[in-house]
Amino acid sequence: MSDEALWANIFKQKNVVKENMFTVLKRIPVFQDLGYKELRAVERILHRRHYKRDEVIFRENEPGVGMYIIEHGKVHITVGRENKLLVLLSNGDFFGEMALILSGKRTASAIAHEETSLLGFFQPDLFNLMETNPKIGNKIMFRLSQMIAERLRLGTLENRQLKARLNVLQSELETLKKGKKD
Amino acid sequence: METTVSRFLKIVLVVAALVAVVWLLSAIRSTIVLLVISALLAYILDPFASYLEFKGLSRTSATILIFLALGGVVFSLFYFLIPALSHEIASLQKGLDGKTTSQLFDNIEGFIKETIPLLKGQDLNLQADMQKGIQNLAESLFAILVNLVPLFTSVIIIPFAVFFLLKDGRDMKKHLVSLVPNRYFEMTLNLLHKMDIQLGGYLRGQFVDSTIIGVLAIGALWILDVPYFVLIGIFAGLANMIPYVGPFSGAVVAIFTVLFSHGSGQEVLYVALAFLIIQLIDNVLVQPLVLARSVDLHPLTIIFAIIIGGQFFGMIGMLVAVPTAGIIKVTAIEAYNSARRFNLI
Repeated sequence: MSDEALWANIFKQKNVVKENMFTVLKRIPVFQDLGYKELRAVERILHRRHYKRDEVIFRENEPGVGMYIIEHGKVHITVGRENKLLVLLSNGDFFGEMALILSGKRTASAIAHEETSLLGFFQPDLFNLMETNPKIGNKIMFRLSQMIAERLRLGTLENRQLKARLNVLQSELETLKKGKKD
Repeated sequence: METTVSRFLKIVLVVAALVAVVWLLSAIRSTIVLLVISALLAYILDPFASYLEFKGLSRTSATILIFLALGGVVFSLFYFLIPALSHEIASLQKGLDGKTTSQLFDNIEGFIKETIPLLKGQDLNLQADMQKGIQNLAESLFAILVNLVPLFTSVIIIPFAVFFLLKDGRDMKKHLVSLVPNRYFEMTLNLLHKMDIQLGGYLRGQFVDSTIIGVLAIGALWILDVPYFVLIGIFAGLANMIPYVGPFSGAVVAIFTVLFSHGSGQEVLYVALAFLIIQLIDNVLVQPLVLARSVDLHPLTIIFAIIIGGQFFGMIGMLVAVPTAGIIKVTAIEAYNSARRFNLI
Protein backbone atom coordinates (compact mmCIF):
# COMPACT_ATOMS: atom_id res chain seq x y z
CA MET A 1 0.00 0.00 0.00
CA SER A 2 1.48 3.34 -0.97
CA ASP A 3 1.67 6.18 1.51
CA GLU A 4 -0.80 8.16 -0.54
CA ALA A 5 -3.41 5.45 -0.23
CA LEU A 6 -2.93 5.38 3.52
CA TRP A 7 -3.19 9.08 4.09
CA ALA A 8 -5.58 10.27 1.45
CA ASN A 9 -9.09 10.61 2.69
CA ILE A 10 -10.76 7.88 0.73
CA PHE A 11 -14.05 8.54 2.47
CA LYS A 12 -14.27 12.18 1.61
CA GLN A 13 -17.48 13.52 0.20
CA LYS A 14 -17.33 16.34 -2.26
CA ASN A 15 -19.18 19.66 -2.34
CA VAL A 16 -19.22 20.64 1.27
CA VAL A 17 -20.07 24.26 1.84
CA LYS A 18 -21.11 25.28 5.32
CA GLU A 19 -19.11 24.21 8.32
CA ASN A 20 -20.12 23.96 11.87
CA MET A 21 -19.13 21.40 14.40
CA PHE A 22 -22.12 19.16 13.84
CA THR A 23 -21.95 19.10 10.08
CA VAL A 24 -18.24 18.45 10.38
CA LEU A 25 -18.72 15.63 12.85
CA LYS A 26 -21.64 14.13 10.99
CA ARG A 27 -19.44 13.68 7.94
CA ILE A 28 -16.68 11.88 9.79
CA PRO A 29 -17.19 8.18 9.13
CA VAL A 30 -16.30 7.30 12.71
CA PHE A 31 -19.29 9.30 13.98
CA GLN A 32 -21.59 8.40 11.11
CA ASP A 33 -23.97 6.23 13.13
CA LEU A 34 -24.47 8.70 15.94
CA GLY A 35 -27.68 10.60 16.51
CA TYR A 36 -27.91 14.22 17.54
CA LYS A 37 -27.79 13.52 21.26
CA GLU A 38 -24.92 11.12 20.87
CA LEU A 39 -22.98 13.63 18.81
CA ARG A 40 -23.45 16.12 21.62
CA ALA A 41 -21.89 13.63 24.03
CA VAL A 42 -18.97 13.25 21.64
CA GLU A 43 -18.67 16.99 21.25
CA ARG A 44 -18.15 17.25 24.99
CA ILE A 45 -15.02 15.12 24.85
CA LEU A 46 -13.46 16.66 21.75
CA HIS A 47 -10.62 19.11 22.21
CA ARG A 48 -10.63 22.16 19.98
CA ARG A 49 -7.11 23.28 19.12
CA HIS A 50 -5.93 26.24 17.10
CA TYR A 51 -2.76 26.22 15.05
CA LYS A 52 -0.87 29.00 13.32
CA ARG A 53 0.51 28.66 9.82
CA ASP A 54 3.43 26.19 9.72
CA GLU A 55 2.84 25.07 13.27
CA VAL A 56 3.52 21.38 13.85
CA ILE A 57 0.48 19.37 14.95
CA PHE A 58 2.46 16.20 15.48
CA ARG A 59 5.79 14.85 14.35
CA GLU A 60 6.68 11.57 12.75
CA ASN A 61 7.94 8.99 15.29
CA GLU A 62 6.41 10.78 18.26
CA PRO A 63 3.90 8.70 20.19
CA GLY A 64 0.37 9.47 19.11
CA VAL A 65 -2.83 8.97 21.09
CA GLY A 66 -5.58 10.15 18.81
CA MET A 67 -7.03 11.60 15.66
CA TYR A 68 -7.68 15.14 14.50
CA ILE A 69 -10.58 16.46 12.48
CA ILE A 70 -10.08 19.65 10.49
CA GLU A 71 -12.83 22.05 11.47
CA HIS A 72 -11.43 24.65 9.14
CA GLY A 73 -8.03 25.21 7.62
CA LYS A 74 -5.51 23.12 5.74
CA VAL A 75 -3.03 20.55 6.96
CA HIS A 76 0.04 19.10 5.27
CA ILE A 77 0.84 15.47 5.91
CA THR A 78 4.53 14.89 5.29
CA VAL A 79 7.11 12.15 5.80
CA GLY A 80 10.83 11.97 6.20
CA ARG A 81 13.44 14.53 7.08
CA GLU A 82 12.95 16.41 3.86
CA ASN A 83 9.23 16.70 4.66
CA LYS A 84 8.00 15.03 1.51
CA LEU A 85 4.41 16.10 1.05
CA LEU A 86 2.00 13.19 0.99
CA VAL A 87 -1.31 14.97 0.94
CA LEU A 88 -2.95 18.30 1.69
CA LEU A 89 -6.05 17.90 3.84
CA SER A 90 -8.75 20.51 4.32
CA ASN A 91 -12.10 21.18 5.98
CA GLY A 92 -13.87 18.05 7.15
CA ASP A 93 -10.89 15.79 6.59
CA PHE A 94 -9.39 13.82 9.40
CA PHE A 95 -6.06 12.20 10.09
CA GLY A 96 -4.22 10.14 12.68
CA GLU A 97 -7.18 7.83 13.37
CA MET A 98 -4.88 4.80 13.55
CA ALA A 99 -3.47 6.17 16.79
CA LEU A 100 -6.89 5.80 18.36
CA ILE A 101 -6.46 2.05 18.32
CA LEU A 102 -2.75 1.53 18.00
CA SER A 103 -1.06 4.01 20.26
CA GLY A 104 2.31 3.74 18.62
CA LYS A 105 4.55 6.16 16.84
CA ARG A 106 3.11 8.51 14.25
CA THR A 107 3.96 7.36 10.73
CA ALA A 108 3.94 10.89 9.31
CA SER A 109 4.08 14.50 10.44
CA ALA A 110 1.14 16.88 10.33
CA ILE A 111 1.77 20.59 9.84
CA ALA A 112 -0.79 23.37 9.61
CA HIS A 113 -0.68 24.97 6.18
CA GLU A 114 -2.68 28.00 7.26
CA GLU A 115 -4.57 29.18 10.34
CA THR A 116 -6.27 25.95 11.31
CA SER A 117 -8.76 24.84 13.87
CA LEU A 118 -8.80 21.15 14.71
CA LEU A 119 -10.98 18.90 16.79
CA GLY A 120 -8.92 16.33 18.63
CA PHE A 121 -10.39 12.95 19.56
CA PHE A 122 -8.13 10.93 21.79
CA GLN A 123 -7.76 7.40 23.05
CA PRO A 124 -8.22 8.13 26.77
CA ASP A 125 -11.47 9.95 26.02
CA LEU A 126 -12.60 7.10 23.78
CA PHE A 127 -11.90 4.69 26.63
CA ASN A 128 -13.92 6.86 29.01
CA LEU A 129 -16.74 7.02 26.51
CA MET A 130 -16.72 3.24 26.11
CA GLU A 131 -16.96 2.93 29.87
CA THR A 132 -19.67 5.48 30.56
CA ASN A 133 -21.58 5.25 27.31
CA PRO A 134 -20.87 1.90 25.66
CA LYS A 135 -23.56 2.42 23.05
CA ILE A 136 -21.78 5.38 21.56
CA GLY A 137 -18.41 3.76 22.13
CA ASN A 138 -19.47 0.64 20.24
CA LYS A 139 -20.80 2.60 17.31
CA ILE A 140 -17.56 4.50 17.05
CA MET A 141 -15.43 1.42 17.50
CA PHE A 142 -17.39 -0.43 14.83
CA ARG A 143 -16.94 2.36 12.31
CA LEU A 144 -13.31 2.61 13.22
CA SER A 145 -12.75 -1.11 12.60
CA GLN A 146 -14.72 -0.84 9.40
CA MET A 147 -12.50 1.95 8.23
CA ILE A 148 -9.40 0.02 9.04
CA ALA A 149 -10.78 -3.12 7.42
CA GLU A 150 -11.51 -1.07 4.32
CA ARG A 151 -7.97 0.23 4.33
CA LEU A 152 -6.72 -3.32 4.74
CA ARG A 153 -8.88 -4.47 1.82
CA LEU A 154 -7.60 -1.70 -0.39
CA GLY A 155 -4.09 -2.49 0.70
CA THR A 156 -4.53 -6.18 -0.05
CA LEU A 157 -5.92 -5.42 -3.49
CA GLU A 158 -3.05 -3.10 -4.22
CA ASN A 159 -0.63 -5.64 -2.87
CA ARG A 160 -2.10 -8.28 -5.17
CA GLN A 161 -1.87 -6.01 -8.20
CA LEU A 162 1.69 -5.14 -7.38
CA LYS A 163 2.59 -8.80 -6.95
CA ALA A 164 1.00 -9.62 -10.29
CA ARG A 165 2.94 -6.82 -11.92
CA LEU A 166 6.09 -7.96 -10.24
CA ASN A 167 5.53 -11.46 -11.57
CA VAL A 168 5.02 -10.12 -15.07
CA LEU A 169 8.14 -8.01 -14.80
CA GLN A 170 10.12 -10.90 -13.41
CA SER A 171 9.08 -13.23 -16.24
CA GLU A 172 9.84 -10.46 -18.73
CA LEU A 173 13.25 -10.07 -17.19
CA GLU A 174 13.84 -13.79 -17.43
CA THR A 175 12.84 -13.91 -21.09
CA LEU A 176 15.11 -10.94 -21.69
CA LYS A 177 17.98 -12.77 -19.97
CA LYS A 178 17.24 -15.88 -21.99
CA GLY A 179 17.17 -13.77 -25.14
CA LYS A 180 20.59 -12.35 -24.24
CA LYS A 181 22.00 -15.80 -23.64
CA ASP A 182 20.69 -17.06 -26.94
CA MET B 1 25.79 46.52 30.43
CA GLU B 2 22.16 47.37 30.01
CA THR B 3 21.32 43.79 29.11
CA THR B 4 22.96 42.45 32.27
CA VAL B 5 20.98 44.92 34.34
CA SER B 6 17.70 43.98 32.74
CA ARG B 7 18.61 40.34 33.06
CA PHE B 8 19.40 40.80 36.72
CA LEU B 9 16.11 42.62 37.13
CA LYS B 10 14.31 39.77 35.45
CA ILE B 11 15.87 37.21 37.77
CA VAL B 12 14.98 39.31 40.80
CA LEU B 13 11.42 39.62 39.58
CA VAL B 14 11.10 35.89 38.96
CA VAL B 15 12.54 35.08 42.38
CA ALA B 16 10.21 37.61 43.99
CA ALA B 17 7.25 36.10 42.18
CA LEU B 18 8.26 32.62 43.29
CA VAL B 19 8.63 33.76 46.89
CA ALA B 20 5.23 35.42 46.69
CA VAL B 21 3.65 32.25 45.33
CA VAL B 22 5.27 30.10 48.01
CA TRP B 23 4.22 32.54 50.70
CA LEU B 24 0.68 32.62 49.38
CA LEU B 25 0.53 28.83 49.23
CA SER B 26 1.80 28.48 52.79
CA ALA B 27 -0.56 31.19 53.97
CA ILE B 28 -3.58 29.41 52.55
CA ARG B 29 -2.33 25.92 53.24
CA SER B 30 -5.31 24.93 55.36
CA THR B 31 -7.51 25.78 52.39
CA ILE B 32 -5.23 23.79 50.14
CA VAL B 33 -5.60 20.82 52.48
CA LEU B 34 -9.37 21.12 52.18
CA LEU B 35 -9.11 21.25 48.42
CA VAL B 36 -6.74 18.30 48.26
CA ILE B 37 -8.95 16.19 50.51
CA SER B 38 -11.99 17.10 48.42
CA ALA B 39 -10.17 16.30 45.20
CA LEU B 40 -9.04 12.94 46.57
CA LEU B 41 -12.56 12.06 47.69
CA ALA B 42 -14.02 13.11 44.34
CA TYR B 43 -11.36 11.08 42.59
CA ILE B 44 -12.16 8.02 44.69
CA LEU B 45 -15.88 8.42 44.00
CA ASP B 46 -15.44 8.98 40.27
CA PRO B 47 -15.85 5.32 39.19
CA PHE B 48 -19.21 5.19 40.97
CA ALA B 49 -20.41 8.22 39.06
CA SER B 50 -19.12 6.71 35.82
CA TYR B 51 -20.90 3.46 36.60
CA LEU B 52 -24.18 5.28 37.18
CA GLU B 53 -23.64 7.15 33.94
CA PHE B 54 -23.16 3.80 32.25
CA LYS B 55 -26.52 2.81 33.73
CA GLY B 56 -28.05 5.73 31.88
CA LEU B 57 -28.06 8.58 34.37
CA SER B 58 -26.74 12.01 33.57
CA ARG B 59 -23.59 13.07 35.36
CA THR B 60 -25.56 15.46 37.56
CA SER B 61 -28.13 12.89 38.63
CA ALA B 62 -25.37 10.37 39.17
CA THR B 63 -23.59 12.80 41.48
CA ILE B 64 -26.79 13.61 43.36
CA LEU B 65 -27.55 9.91 43.79
CA ILE B 66 -24.08 9.24 45.15
CA PHE B 67 -24.50 12.08 47.62
CA LEU B 68 -27.88 10.82 48.74
CA ALA B 69 -26.40 7.35 49.28
CA LEU B 70 -23.40 8.73 51.13
CA GLY B 71 -25.67 10.92 53.22
CA GLY B 72 -27.68 7.84 54.11
CA VAL B 73 -24.58 5.93 55.12
CA VAL B 74 -23.24 8.79 57.21
CA PHE B 75 -26.62 9.34 58.83
CA SER B 76 -27.15 5.70 59.74
CA LEU B 77 -23.57 5.50 60.92
CA PHE B 78 -24.15 8.37 63.29
CA TYR B 79 -27.55 7.07 64.23
CA PHE B 80 -26.06 3.79 65.39
CA LEU B 81 -22.72 5.05 66.54
CA ILE B 82 -23.66 8.24 68.36
CA PRO B 83 -25.06 6.42 71.41
CA ALA B 84 -21.86 4.38 71.55
CA LEU B 85 -19.71 7.38 70.75
CA SER B 86 -21.32 9.66 73.28
CA HIS B 87 -20.94 6.95 75.87
CA GLU B 88 -17.29 6.62 74.94
CA ILE B 89 -16.74 10.34 75.00
CA ALA B 90 -18.49 10.69 78.33
CA SER B 91 -16.44 7.95 79.92
CA LEU B 92 -13.34 9.26 78.22
CA GLN B 93 -13.98 12.63 79.76
CA LYS B 94 -14.58 11.13 83.13
CA GLY B 95 -11.51 9.01 82.78
CA LEU B 96 -9.37 11.89 81.64
CA ASP B 97 -9.68 13.70 84.92
CA GLY B 98 -8.31 10.79 86.88
CA LYS B 99 -4.70 10.28 87.75
CA THR B 100 -4.46 6.98 85.98
CA THR B 101 -5.38 8.58 82.74
CA SER B 102 -2.72 11.18 83.06
CA GLN B 103 -0.36 8.30 83.63
CA LEU B 104 -1.86 6.60 80.61
CA PHE B 105 -1.23 9.53 78.34
CA ASP B 106 2.30 9.94 79.61
CA ASN B 107 2.90 6.33 78.82
CA ILE B 108 1.25 6.51 75.44
CA GLU B 109 3.20 9.61 74.63
CA GLY B 110 6.40 7.99 75.70
CA PHE B 111 5.60 4.96 73.65
CA ILE B 112 4.67 6.92 70.57
CA LYS B 113 7.81 8.97 70.88
CA GLU B 114 9.80 5.79 71.15
CA THR B 115 8.05 4.15 68.24
CA ILE B 116 8.11 7.17 65.99
CA PRO B 117 11.54 8.65 66.51
CA LEU B 118 10.77 11.74 64.49
CA LEU B 119 8.40 12.91 67.20
CA LYS B 120 11.03 12.71 69.90
CA GLY B 121 11.80 16.39 70.04
CA GLN B 122 8.20 17.44 69.98
CA ASP B 123 5.91 17.82 72.89
CA LEU B 124 2.89 15.84 71.91
CA ASN B 125 0.61 17.15 74.60
CA LEU B 126 -1.75 14.34 73.81
CA GLN B 127 -3.68 14.65 77.00
CA ALA B 128 -4.27 18.37 76.73
CA ASP B 129 -5.25 18.05 73.10
CA MET B 130 -7.56 15.17 73.81
CA GLN B 131 -9.10 16.89 76.77
CA LYS B 132 -9.72 20.01 74.79
CA GLY B 133 -11.22 18.10 71.90
CA ILE B 134 -13.40 16.04 74.17
CA GLN B 135 -14.62 19.02 76.10
CA ASN B 136 -15.61 20.61 72.84
CA LEU B 137 -17.31 17.45 71.68
CA ALA B 138 -19.17 17.02 74.89
CA GLU B 139 -20.78 20.40 74.74
CA SER B 140 -24.00 20.94 72.93
CA LEU B 141 -24.18 20.61 69.18
CA PHE B 142 -24.45 24.34 68.77
CA ALA B 143 -21.45 24.95 70.94
CA ILE B 144 -19.47 22.43 68.93
CA LEU B 145 -20.28 24.25 65.75
CA VAL B 146 -19.27 27.58 67.24
CA ASN B 147 -16.13 26.31 68.93
CA LEU B 148 -14.86 24.33 66.03
CA VAL B 149 -15.26 26.79 63.21
CA PRO B 150 -12.53 25.12 61.17
CA LEU B 151 -14.24 21.77 61.60
CA PHE B 152 -17.53 23.38 60.71
CA THR B 153 -16.16 24.90 57.55
CA SER B 154 -14.54 21.67 56.47
CA VAL B 155 -17.70 19.73 57.23
CA ILE B 156 -19.59 22.11 54.97
CA ILE B 157 -16.93 22.93 52.41
CA ILE B 158 -15.62 19.44 51.71
CA PRO B 159 -18.94 17.88 50.63
CA PHE B 160 -19.69 21.03 48.67
CA ALA B 161 -16.35 20.90 46.86
CA VAL B 162 -16.58 17.14 46.35
CA PHE B 163 -19.99 17.53 44.78
CA PHE B 164 -18.86 20.00 42.16
CA LEU B 165 -15.55 18.28 41.53
CA LEU B 166 -17.40 15.04 40.96
CA LYS B 167 -20.01 16.65 38.73
CA ASP B 168 -17.81 19.00 36.72
CA GLY B 169 -14.35 17.52 37.22
CA ARG B 170 -14.12 16.18 33.71
CA ASP B 171 -14.99 19.53 32.15
CA MET B 172 -12.57 21.29 34.49
CA LYS B 173 -9.85 18.90 33.43
CA LYS B 174 -10.67 19.51 29.78
CA HIS B 175 -10.50 23.27 30.26
CA LEU B 176 -7.18 23.00 32.06
CA VAL B 177 -5.79 20.79 29.32
CA SER B 178 -6.98 23.26 26.70
CA LEU B 179 -4.61 25.83 28.21
CA VAL B 180 -1.58 23.67 27.44
CA PRO B 181 0.39 24.88 24.39
CA ASN B 182 0.06 22.82 21.22
CA ARG B 183 3.58 21.47 21.48
CA TYR B 184 2.91 19.76 24.81
CA PHE B 185 -0.77 19.14 24.44
CA GLU B 186 -0.85 15.54 23.29
CA MET B 187 1.90 14.62 25.69
CA THR B 188 -0.03 16.16 28.59
CA LEU B 189 -3.17 14.29 27.65
CA ASN B 190 -1.30 11.03 27.48
CA LEU B 191 0.46 11.75 30.74
CA LEU B 192 -2.79 12.47 32.57
CA HIS B 193 -4.28 9.26 31.26
CA LYS B 194 -1.33 7.16 32.39
CA MET B 195 -1.31 8.82 35.81
CA ASP B 196 -5.01 8.21 36.11
CA ILE B 197 -4.54 4.50 35.52
CA GLN B 198 -1.70 4.25 38.02
CA LEU B 199 -3.01 6.54 40.73
CA GLY B 200 -6.67 5.67 40.44
CA GLY B 201 -6.00 2.06 41.34
CA TYR B 202 -3.58 3.03 44.06
CA LEU B 203 -5.70 5.67 45.82
CA ARG B 204 -8.96 3.76 45.57
CA GLY B 205 -7.19 0.67 46.81
CA GLN B 206 -5.84 2.56 49.81
CA PHE B 207 -9.26 3.94 50.59
CA VAL B 208 -11.02 0.58 50.39
CA ASP B 209 -8.23 -1.07 52.37
CA SER B 210 -8.47 1.52 55.14
CA THR B 211 -12.24 1.18 55.31
CA ILE B 212 -12.06 -2.61 55.58
CA ILE B 213 -9.36 -2.50 58.26
CA GLY B 214 -11.28 0.13 60.21
CA VAL B 215 -14.47 -1.92 60.15
CA LEU B 216 -12.61 -5.10 61.11
CA ALA B 217 -10.87 -3.32 63.98
CA ILE B 218 -14.10 -1.82 65.29
CA GLY B 219 -15.75 -5.25 65.12
CA ALA B 220 -12.89 -7.06 66.83
CA LEU B 221 -12.55 -4.49 69.60
CA TRP B 222 -16.29 -4.49 70.13
CA ILE B 223 -16.30 -8.27 70.53
CA LEU B 224 -13.36 -8.05 72.94
CA ASP B 225 -15.21 -5.36 74.86
CA VAL B 226 -12.42 -2.84 74.61
CA PRO B 227 -13.47 0.67 75.64
CA TYR B 228 -13.47 3.41 72.97
CA PHE B 229 -13.61 0.71 70.34
CA VAL B 230 -15.11 3.02 67.70
CA LEU B 231 -12.45 5.70 68.08
CA ILE B 232 -9.60 3.20 68.14
CA GLY B 233 -11.04 1.37 65.14
CA ILE B 234 -11.29 4.56 63.10
CA PHE B 235 -7.75 5.46 64.09
CA ALA B 236 -6.48 2.00 63.15
CA GLY B 237 -8.17 2.23 59.75
CA LEU B 238 -6.72 5.64 59.00
CA ALA B 239 -3.29 4.77 60.34
CA ASN B 240 -3.21 1.68 58.16
CA MET B 241 -2.51 3.95 55.19
CA ILE B 242 0.93 4.60 56.64
CA PRO B 243 3.19 1.65 55.89
CA TYR B 244 5.24 -0.02 58.64
CA VAL B 245 4.27 2.27 61.53
CA GLY B 246 0.57 2.52 60.74
CA PRO B 247 -0.72 -0.99 61.43
CA PHE B 248 1.46 -1.13 64.51
CA SER B 249 0.25 2.12 66.03
CA GLY B 250 -3.40 1.04 65.86
CA ALA B 251 -2.58 -2.06 67.86
CA VAL B 252 -0.47 -0.09 70.32
CA VAL B 253 -3.24 2.36 71.09
CA ALA B 254 -5.68 -0.50 71.63
CA ILE B 255 -3.29 -2.38 73.92
CA PHE B 256 -2.59 0.66 76.03
CA THR B 257 -6.27 1.36 76.32
CA VAL B 258 -6.83 -2.17 77.60
CA LEU B 259 -3.89 -1.87 79.97
CA PHE B 260 -5.12 1.32 81.53
CA SER B 261 -8.69 0.25 81.80
CA HIS B 262 -7.32 -2.39 84.16
CA GLY B 263 -7.46 -5.15 81.63
CA SER B 264 -5.73 -8.40 82.36
CA GLY B 265 -2.71 -9.68 80.53
CA GLN B 266 -4.97 -12.14 78.85
CA GLU B 267 -7.11 -9.35 77.41
CA VAL B 268 -4.02 -7.62 76.11
CA LEU B 269 -3.02 -10.86 74.47
CA TYR B 270 -6.42 -11.16 72.83
CA VAL B 271 -6.29 -7.62 71.50
CA ALA B 272 -2.79 -8.16 70.16
CA LEU B 273 -3.94 -11.40 68.60
CA ALA B 274 -6.95 -9.66 67.06
CA PHE B 275 -4.73 -7.04 65.43
CA LEU B 276 -2.37 -9.75 64.28
CA ILE B 277 -5.25 -11.56 62.61
CA ILE B 278 -6.51 -8.33 61.06
CA GLN B 279 -3.06 -7.66 59.67
CA LEU B 280 -2.93 -11.21 58.36
CA ILE B 281 -6.30 -10.78 56.66
CA ASP B 282 -5.11 -7.45 55.31
CA ASN B 283 -1.90 -8.86 53.89
CA VAL B 284 -3.21 -12.14 52.59
CA LEU B 285 -6.73 -11.28 51.47
CA VAL B 286 -7.49 -7.58 51.27
CA GLN B 287 -4.31 -6.08 49.89
CA PRO B 288 -3.79 -8.54 47.03
CA LEU B 289 -7.40 -7.95 46.02
CA VAL B 290 -7.79 -4.20 46.32
CA LEU B 291 -4.27 -2.88 46.05
CA ALA B 292 -3.89 -4.03 42.47
CA ARG B 293 -1.46 -1.27 41.74
CA SER B 294 0.94 -0.36 44.44
CA VAL B 295 3.41 2.44 44.14
CA ASP B 296 6.74 1.17 45.33
CA LEU B 297 8.25 3.65 47.72
CA HIS B 298 11.49 3.16 49.55
CA PRO B 299 11.06 3.00 53.36
CA LEU B 300 13.32 6.03 53.66
CA THR B 301 11.12 7.95 51.24
CA ILE B 302 8.09 7.00 53.29
CA ILE B 303 9.66 8.16 56.55
CA PHE B 304 10.72 11.50 55.13
CA ALA B 305 7.38 11.98 53.44
CA ILE B 306 5.67 11.46 56.81
CA ILE B 307 8.03 13.90 58.54
CA ILE B 308 7.45 16.57 55.91
CA GLY B 309 3.70 15.98 55.90
CA GLY B 310 3.64 16.30 59.69
CA GLN B 311 5.70 19.49 59.63
CA PHE B 312 3.42 21.22 57.20
CA PHE B 313 -0.03 19.89 57.89
CA GLY B 314 0.10 18.11 61.23
CA MET B 315 -1.70 14.82 61.78
CA ILE B 316 -3.65 15.00 58.51
CA GLY B 317 -0.42 15.75 56.71
CA MET B 318 1.13 12.58 58.11
CA LEU B 319 -1.84 10.53 56.95
CA VAL B 320 -1.86 11.87 53.40
CA ALA B 321 1.93 12.02 53.15
CA VAL B 322 2.38 8.54 51.71
CA PRO B 323 -0.32 8.78 49.03
CA THR B 324 1.03 12.23 48.15
CA ALA B 325 4.55 10.86 47.83
CA GLY B 326 3.11 8.14 45.59
CA ILE B 327 1.38 10.74 43.43
CA ILE B 328 4.60 12.75 43.12
CA LYS B 329 6.61 9.68 42.23
CA VAL B 330 4.22 8.46 39.55
CA THR B 331 3.92 11.97 38.11
CA ALA B 332 7.67 12.46 37.97
CA ILE B 333 8.33 9.10 36.34
CA GLU B 334 5.56 9.44 33.79
CA ALA B 335 6.46 13.04 33.00
CA TYR B 336 10.08 12.07 32.46
CA ASN B 337 9.18 9.11 30.24
CA SER B 338 6.74 11.17 28.17
CA ALA B 339 9.21 14.00 27.76
CA ARG B 340 11.78 11.52 26.50
CA ARG B 341 9.41 9.86 24.12
CA PHE B 342 8.41 13.23 22.71
CA ASN B 343 12.07 14.16 22.33
CA LEU B 344 11.78 17.11 24.66
CA ILE B 345 14.82 16.11 26.66
